[in-house]
Amino acid sequence: MRHDIRRDILATALVLLAAVAPAAAQGEYIMRADRSAAELTDILVLPPEVQAGGAEARVAAGTVDAVIRADLDYSGLFRLLTRDQVTGKSPGHYLIDGVLEGLPTGGASSPALTLRLLSEPGGQVLLSKRYQPGPDRLRATAHHFVEQVIRMLTDLPGISLSRIVFARGSGDRRDIWCVDYDGEGLLRLTANRTLNLFPSWSPDNKQIAFMSFRQGQQGTYMLEAATGAVRLVGETSGSNLGPSWHPGGQELVVALSKAGQPDIYRLGLEGRVIRRLTVSESIEVSPSWSPGGRDLVFTSDRTGTPQLYIMDADGTGRRRLTFEGKYNDSADWSPRGDRIVYACREQEITQLMLIEAGGENRRLLTDASWRNCEDPSWAPDGRHVVFASDRTGVFKLYILDVEDGSIRQLTKGGEPDTTPDWSQ
Amino acid sequence: MVRTLALIGMLLAALLMTVGCGGKKNVPVADNTAAVVATAPVEEVVEEAPVAETPAPVTDYATMSPQEYGIEDVYFAYDEYTIGAAAMATLTANAKIMKEHGDVVYLIEGHCDERGTVEYNLALGEKRAAAVRDYLANLGVKAGQLRVTSYGEERPFVAGSTEASWAKNRRAHFARP
Repeated sequence: MRHDIRRDILATALVLLAAVAPAAAQGEYIMRADRSAAELTDILVLPPEVQAGGAEARVAAGTVDAVIRADLDYSGLFRLLTRDQVTGKSPGHYLIDGVLEGLPTGGASSPALTLRLLSEPGGQVLLSKRYQPGPDRLRATAHHFVEQVIRMLTDLPGISLSRIVFARGSGDRRDIWCVDYDGEGLLRLTANRTLNLFPSWSPDNKQIAFMSFRQGQQGTYMLEAATGAVRLVGETSGSNLGPSWHPGGQELVVALSKAGQPDIYRLGLEGRVIRRLTVSESIEVSPSWSPGGRDLVFTSDRTGTPQLYIMDADGTGRRRLTFEGKYNDSADWSPRGDRIVYACREQEITQLMLIEAGGENRRLLTDASWRNCEDPSWAPDGRHVVFASDRTGVFKLYILDVEDGSIRQLTKGGEPDTTPDWSQ
Repeated sequence: MVRTLALIGMLLAALLMTVGCGGKKNVPVADNTAAVVATAPVEEVVEEAPVAETPAPVTDYATMSPQEYGIEDVYFAYDEYTIGAAAMATLTANAKIMKEHGDVVYLIEGHCDERGTVEYNLALGEKRAAAVRDYLANLGVKAGQLRVTSYGEERPFVAGSTEASWAKNRRAHFARP
């Protein structure tokens, strides 16, 4: 059974938004849409039945239950039912249940956690997963199960296992950090006391390319996510901006100014220039590949103001994408290929804008109450976007559900967080 | 460096005097410079050795910031990297100093105000620095004296979100590399 994810339902969603809460914990809603039940899939989540292990095991089961519920809610696809809603009349819905055999210890002899997805009524088991998580892997296990549920029901990737890399710090001291999509698992990845920006996940989520001044000037670097090891990819005189990955995972695209002004180059993972894509006297930066690798969107100020353009993978076939607004930049091409999100600066404020890849149906995603919204990056579900906003006076990261307008706060704290990139 | 030369000059002069006073046989031959200095009255050396005259204050380009000897930063309009009239005058004055000391290297840092996006501002800062470099080169400053970099909006000189603050932050700053 496949459930269609409705896309363009947002026409009036901003009107439906609940009031803005003054402060929110990580992952909590700041604005929440009043979603119409008609667009959602009903699901009842029962906490795993605990067979042994006493109070500690019950706490573990509670953690799994809470993460499953939060992930399902976060996806924007489900309405979480209560038992009361199910008893009596119960039209078609789904059920998640599970069994925890004892206190999880990890390893081959660990008591198992079994999680199931069933269709109701009828009780047909659609998915059954058996895990032996360690106590520190309960959240990851629940995330993993929800990801399987969403892939089964929608045939599309979810975000439960995804992570976001970003730059934290101020001035010329900014390091690369990483956080789970729900705000948990915050991790610092670099500590070199220089300016590090623009982290970008490889398509297999094993490497992070980024820009750093760690040797005194801009260079492109690569960080192994598993080990934290950093190596230099390339360092040419002047700008080494970006970088961003080709969807095939075998090359980067960067903006280098070695020819005098920033131009866009395809760069091998060892720093070799594969192809120079732009040649001009203007600024050409911020490239982002289409998911198929056939073309790229990028920023050029050749008309006097920064505007978005699309070109073919070999640099030919250039066409202008944005004609409205005097400052359009930071484009990110949706993993589904149909849309592009970018930052548009008008009347002294930067907002997020959405446009179809063909240039139609441009629409504003944020409003002035969010002050400046910058550096949008798509989630693998093609529905959520992470961005940086200084609505509290300091740039922090937020996550927008593009379909219904809900916004959550991802990071907290006093230091600025910028240039996020969502894993794929 | 100049001070070191002066000191060597003093020492040489003192040594010559010591040797020159050959008649005084009891003067011991010094085997280290400290002893030489100790046996030679400084006043006499100053009178007889012109190199020992108090040197003029030294402009040490290796340690002073360019601003301390008259190099001034230049400013830009919002989202612009063209050199304005005021900047032209400043750069003309800067070029004069730079050409007088052709061995001094400058790092031209492009900076932006906080408005706009991080990446575009890094590119904009570089275009500003490059525009300044090219203007100075046209005035005859050697290319080898000029390097460029950009800090975009990451290193504002002045805090605040007013036009006055922004204007101060849209600059090309001259630093030691």
